[in-house]
Amino acid sequence: MVASDRMVVLGCDHSAGAALDELAAQGRALPAGVEWVRLPCGGGLDELHILRAFESGAGRVMVLACNDSACRSVQGNRWAEKRVQTARRLLEEAGVPGWRLEFKAVSPTQAMELLPWIEGFAAFEPAAEETSQEGTP
Amino acid sequence: MIVAERKPLAEILGNVRGVGRVLLVGCNTCVAICLAGGEKEVAVTAAQLRLALRSEGLEGCITEGCVERQCEEEFNEELGDAIATHDVVLSMACGVGVQTLAEQFPDAIVYPALNTTFMGRPEERGIWSERCLGCGNCVLDKFGGVCPITRCSKNLLNGPCGGSANGRCEVDPENIPCAWQLVYDRLERIGQLGRLMEVEPPKDWSTSRHGGPRKIVREDMVL
Amino acid sequence: MTQGDATQGVATQGVAKSGSRLERILDSGAFAVTAELGPPKGTDLEVVRAKMGLLRGVCDAVNITDNQTAIVRLSSVAASALLCQDGLEPVMQMTCRDRNRLAIQADVFGAVALGVRNLLCLTGDHQCFGNHPAAKNVYDLDSVQLIRMVRRLRDERVTEGGEEVEGEVPMFIGGAANPFGDPFEMRVIRLAKKVAAGVDFIQTQCIFDMPRFREWMHRVVDLGLHEKVHILAGVMPLKSAGAARYINNNVAGISVPDAVIKRMSGAGRGQKARDEGMRMCAEMIQEVREIEGVHGAHIMAVEWEEAIRPITEMAGVLPRPAVAN
Repeated sequence: MVASDRMVVLGCDHSAGAALDELAAQGRALPAGVEWVRLPCGGGLDELHILRAFESGAGRVMVLACNDSACRSVQGNRWAEKRVQTARRLLEEAGVPGWRLEFKAVSPTQAMELLPWIEGFAAFEPAAEETSQEGTP
Repeated sequence: MIVAERKPLAEILGNVRGVGRVLLVGCNTCVAICLAGGEKEVAVTAAQLRLALRSEGLEGCITEGCVERQCEEEFNEELGDAIATHDVVLSMACGVGVQTLAEQFPDAIVYPALNTTFMGRPEERGIWSERCLGCGNCVLDKFGGVCPITRCSKNLLNGPCGGSANGRCEVDPENIPCAWQLVYDRLERIGQLGRLMEVEPPKDWSTSRHGGPRKIVREDMVL
Repeated sequence: MTQGDATQGVATQGVAKSGSRLERILDSGAFAVTAELGPPKGTDLEVVRAKMGLLRGVCDAVNITDNQTAIVRLSSVAASALLCQDGLEPVMQMTCRDRNRLAIQADVFGAVALGVRNLLCLTGDHQCFGNHPAAKNVYDLDSVQLIRMVRRLRDERVTEGGEEVEGEVPMFIGGAANPFGDPFEMRVIRLAKKVAAGVDFIQTQCIFDMPRFREWMHRVVDLGLHEKVHILAGVMPLKSAGAARYINNNVAGISVPDAVIKRMSGAGRGQKARDEGMRMCAEMIQEVREIEGVHGAHIMAVEWEEAIRPITEMAGVLPRPAVAN
């Protein structure tokens, strides 16, 4: 399988949304090929959103949720993290390496760190041994 | 309820690889409640199958569907057209649902996507455990509502074996409580400890699956 | 307490149930000694013969295990028959795990026909512990039901299915008891149920915690059960401190007190440790002999049959008494 350059960022509106809005206000754009989807809360994340993102052709997915104890739904961020762990397992089962799915806790004021994180993940390539596991029939 | 879990994807792939058009059908009753084969699980499995087939460079067409209860023919009727236009039906119902589809559409190739396990209850979110194995002659009145036939790993009827320790079963202490500890505690609580002294004779297993597959006919209800 | 089953008291009014040596020793009031022999994982009878040689003259009867720990070995019926042929008395162990009521009754008939006169009725370890974890288990009966079934074969000459037995079934019926593993309240209830079902003798799980064993025997005597069943206290010689720790941590139902582990640690290594283990075992035999209600000792020297002679010598139970026929 040829990995696509497209990346989908699934982000909680309260944290990621605020940070990304700040970046936009500063005129700093996300890299090409990165599309971001707002979630009302990390607690609304479902494995299906992640699987559908890969199905639709994304090569990487990043999930952003609030820091611990900052979630307005109390456990939404933990729920999101659990969904990401589950989705990783489902992806591995389906022949998609788990490193293509990333989870990060972020605060609304971390706009400055967010862009490098996204750029870093977009550019990340695992070491040679890891790629050999990728989708070989 | 009937509790089941999704088969490993690799096993399911073995049956649909290179097949052509696959109809993936879920069930909204028991297997939806145990988060194994309901509409959501159908969507997840379909997405996984598509990703997997793509990663192998194979063609595959997965159609998603779900019915209210796959063990009753009237709910499956709506699937007739779809079944006729697909090469394989992959059922995400329990074993009863799979077989109902196969009996109802005998020209179809029907494969199971779940492993049906037991009759049980949810203990808490995400955790289900076995409670009844359908022995056909319920003796729950004798044991304070705790079934030693199902919950004792050796289906003992006269007390625990020597492997009961700290209220746990030695077969799997982490997951299995000693049924006889449970029986004792319950009978003590409801004031029926005397029942424990009754020597329970050997069970008549002929009413269970050991006597052959069972069938119930209610003459009063059959036209 | 029973379902109308008659319980046979220990005093048998001179009528033997099986005529076995073990029965006669116990009835005479002498302190009985039994040992254990594990058959080979195959057909090598030389293994059995070698062990038999080590046990001759040092005990009254030898338990032959039945696929113990769910590990497949030469069957207890066959090995027991071999002992009979060679003039040694077996206690044939039979579990409920591998055989249904038909096979059990058939094997009891076969065993009696081949000379076996003692039967130990056990539930049996679950197959997950053994070398065939994928097998179906049976557990058609439990050990209480098994005791009752064999007693009815013997005393009423009737099978579980209700038909008359062609011939006699002179079998001395044993069971197991674990004074340590169960919920405490259930331990004595279980023994009482086995007595109600008709058990003649009991061998306990091996004792390391003497105070707890005394406590259990106390309750047994309080309930008068010691007058209805012969109790043989289980003992096991330890080979090393490591063995003591392993048993304590890994074997369900057995706990080894720190004092015992300490004593084994202090004994040194190798033969010194084994000598200490045998000595401790001999001391335990002497100690249980003084407890009211204990009528014998069952020595479980797992794969260490050589230890039986030195232990019995040190315990002062040799020579074994002669018994009248």
